[in-house]
Amino acid sequence: MTTTRKLLNTILVAISMTIFVLLPISGQADETNMPPDMIKITGQEDFIYIWTLGMEGVGDEQDKLVTVDVNPKSADFGKVIHSVSVGGRNEAHHSGFSHDRHYLWGATLDTSKIFIFDIHTDPAKPRLVKTIHDFVAKSGGVVGPHTVMPRQDRMLITGLSNNRDHGGRSALVEYTAEGEYVTTYWMPTDDNLQGAEKTGKYADGYSYDLRFMPRLDVMITSSFTGWSNYMMDFGKMFKDEQAMKRFGNTVIVWRMSNRKPLKIFDVPGAPLEIRWALQPEHDYCFTTTALTSKIWLIHRNDKDEWKASEVADIGDPAQVPLPVAFSISSDDKLLWIDTFMDGKVRAFDVTDPFHPVQVYEKKIGSQVNMVSSSWDGKRLYFTSSLLSNWDKKGDENEQFLKGYEWDGKELKERFKIDFIKQKLGRAHLMKFGAYSLYKNNDPITKSK
Amino acid sequence: MIPLLKASKSALRGHIVRSVIIALLAGLICSSSCHVFGSEVEYGPGDMREGYESTEYETRSISLLRRKGEPADLLRVLQSPPLGLPPVPVPADNPMTFKKVQLGRKLFFDRRLSLNGTMSCGMCHVPEQGFTNNELKTAVGIEGRTVRRNSPTIYNVAYFSNIFHDGRENRLELQIWGPMLASNEMANPSIGWIIEKIRNLSGYKGLFEDAFDGRGLGIETIGMAIAAYERTLVSGNSSFDRWYYGGDKKALDESAKRGFKLFTGKGSCSICHTIDETYALFTDDSFHNTGVGWHASMGDEPADYPVQLAPGVMLRVPTKLIDSVGEPRPRDIGRYEVTLNPAHRWSYKTPTLRNVALTGPYMHNGKFGTLLDVVTFYNQGGFANPQLDKIITPLGLTNMEMNDIVAFLESLTGDNVETLVRDAFAAPIGDRN
Repeated sequence: MTTTRKLLNTILVAISMTIFVLLPISGQADETNMPPDMIKITGQEDFIYIWTLGMEGVGDEQDKLVTVDVNPKSADFGKVIHSVSVGGRNEAHHSGFSHDRHYLWGATLDTSKIFIFDIHTDPAKPRLVKTIHDFVAKSGGVVGPHTVMPRQDRMLITGLSNNRDHGGRSALVEYTAEGEYVTTYWMPTDDNLQGAEKTGKYADGYSYDLRFMPRLDVMITSSFTGWSNYMMDFGKMFKDEQAMKRFGNTVIVWRMSNRKPLKIFDVPGAPLEIRWALQPEHDYCFTTTALTSKIWLIHRNDKDEWKASEVADIGDPAQVPLPVAFSISSDDKLLWIDTFMDGKVRAFDVTDPFHPVQVYEKKIGSQVNMVSSSWDGKRLYFTSSLLSNWDKKGDENEQFLKGYEWDGKELKERFKIDFIKQKLGRAHLMKFGAYSLYKNNDPITKSK
Repeated sequence: MIPLLKASKSALRGHIVRSVIIALLAGLICSSSCHVFGSEVEYGPGDMREGYESTEYETRSISLLRRKGEPADLLRVLQSPPLGLPPVPVPADNPMTFKKVQLGRKLFFDRRLSLNGTMSCGMCHVPEQGFTNNELKTAVGIEGRTVRRNSPTIYNVAYFSNIFHDGRENRLELQIWGPMLASNEMANPSIGWIIEKIRNLSGYKGLFEDAFDGRGLGIETIGMAIAAYERTLVSGNSSFDRWYYGGDKKALDESAKRGFKLFTGKGSCSICHTIDETYALFTDDSFHNTGVGWHASMGDEPADYPVQLAPGVMLRVPTKLIDSVGEPRPRDIGRYEVTLNPAHRWSYKTPTLRNVALTGPYMHNGKFGTLLDVVTFYNQGGFANPQLDKIITPLGLTNMEMNDIVAFLESLTGDNVETLVRDAFAAPIGDRN
């Protein structure tokens, strides 16, 4: 690097940091990723429930829901206080609350089972109360339930694959809050766009994440890949030219009330997570593409038309950093984006959503996948596992939950739990729990 | 923003033209706005990715709901084998019956016949993908475990006595226990465990007794039923057969005719992919070292690999980065693993070429994505190695000659593919209910 370039970089970093320091400390919260009308933890969270993948040669090798005490006032702060093994390695992945936040649905990508935990009777000790074994048969062949989103008395569940070819064509499946199957909505394909407008070249029929915004009567889905890819060894897949062609390249805007697709957008390179802006005047959401390392903005323009725009790179796309999970602040000013391959988190100022600017970055570990933030934005939590066969191999396969404090300038580590040393497995999705949600269960309240 | 490598139009023009032709052949007869598809695509792969390397790529996806089944008279091939194929060999101890074939088909597509209920035979031998898997170079087994070889097609498997790429099995009736018990395929813990599992599954009550004259569920009847179904997947009467054996002079176009001449002459292909006087299996059912296996085991890893990140977006990714998330390269010494004869190192079975246009990617490890890649490989004389089969030598074919051979290979698609695929679609897919 030349001296001039070094100087320029230094100036740019300095400017970026100055801008960042001048920003008001904002609330960036995992809570903001949930339905707007769901009850929130606005103060200190007491627990994190980590949906953990069983790992061969580690402990009981089963998937499990691990509860960690994260209240600094607790004697057990930063410790595992409970664990429920569910039987088998099912490729535990994402989980979602019921609308009343009394239950946590843990979905699995391999066996397609969904495990429902009671988290309100004793928030410190979740209890497995129901297992949906027949998701594939009931849904008409949908494999790999992923996102679980409550909508009033229903649960909307995206699938990633199917039982015919284990490819990427899949569907959105609706269940009741009690865990009874309702119906299946297959993703639009070229032969049956279901009335949607194919705005570009792609209508792949793939799906991944789902988020909705009730005030706009809109929901958005993204697209990933099928069972054959998400289950296979990551290195093997990179070297398989056929497999690398089987990724999703679409984002779909739906009418939420009737679950009808409206527009299909080209968003190439596996758009994964979706995060809605929360301010009432902000009619947009973000997604990031895992393979092409871009931030995309899905937005409504002055003519009431939905558009998709590529707005920024994440790291150096030529190095395949692989952006995975991200979180948006409640004031819509900041995104925290994890990149799996380099193990970093990057903060982007998205005050102008069309021009995100990276303002901070920190290496969290040899690999990092999920990021979750407290409502007040002062605490950030990270876990390590992406998919059981995509995680790094050998010494780089760190498996952890790490808790950080954010002071507006720096992330400072508060605790770390080694999930391999504790014989737990691969740490994946985090959901927060708190006594404040269920006042009758607060041991302090009870004692008064 | 940093632009990634974009595929140039000129470099990919050939691929696009091919893609368009495939689309037209598949019955795709409209622009993206009208989305009308011919009926042929309903029994073809529904997630077509031809031309994905180009920025011009467009999806041509088909809804899984269009996958409509229609049972066929699968036993008809026994009375009347299709043109170009000999009578179907049927072992005396496993005579073919309707009920047995129906039971075998049900077992073939039952995902519950794996340890965790996710894998059936049909998940790797996908009917609309040539009864192989077009989407993977090498198979992926239970829990995503690595299978080191390409899923071979089971079209016309009835005729072969060497089964698997290394020929380690010799009877269809026994073959099924390999994948059923392999820890990286269906991973069932034992034979007894499978028998008890089937006994307790819904939908099988009385079926074995009916199919086997009162003889119940057991290690032999499971293998016999699945073998009976597989034995019906006979596919011939291709354009080539109608031209060569049927005397229909118009059944092949001129390019394919030239290709046949090269295939049996200058190209030397028919030495291994045999054509007999009254029928053609297009395989000698024997083993050869072409250098593909040797190269995979003994060759140096490249410093990087081309990785397709999105349509028209390709990047060279350093091997070191890929290896950080990958298992070590699996060992594979081919036929030697069965015989322990050093002369058999990196030899693999000659695959049949019938329906070869439907069964890519090619070679035992899926190394080549297109038929032209395969012909080009042989034209250069394979990969040199100490045990390269003596019949593999540089061929000196021109580009036009290679394209003619590809045209010939594309004429080997049987006329009953739609029938067999629709029949497979009619089978229930077993999932826990």
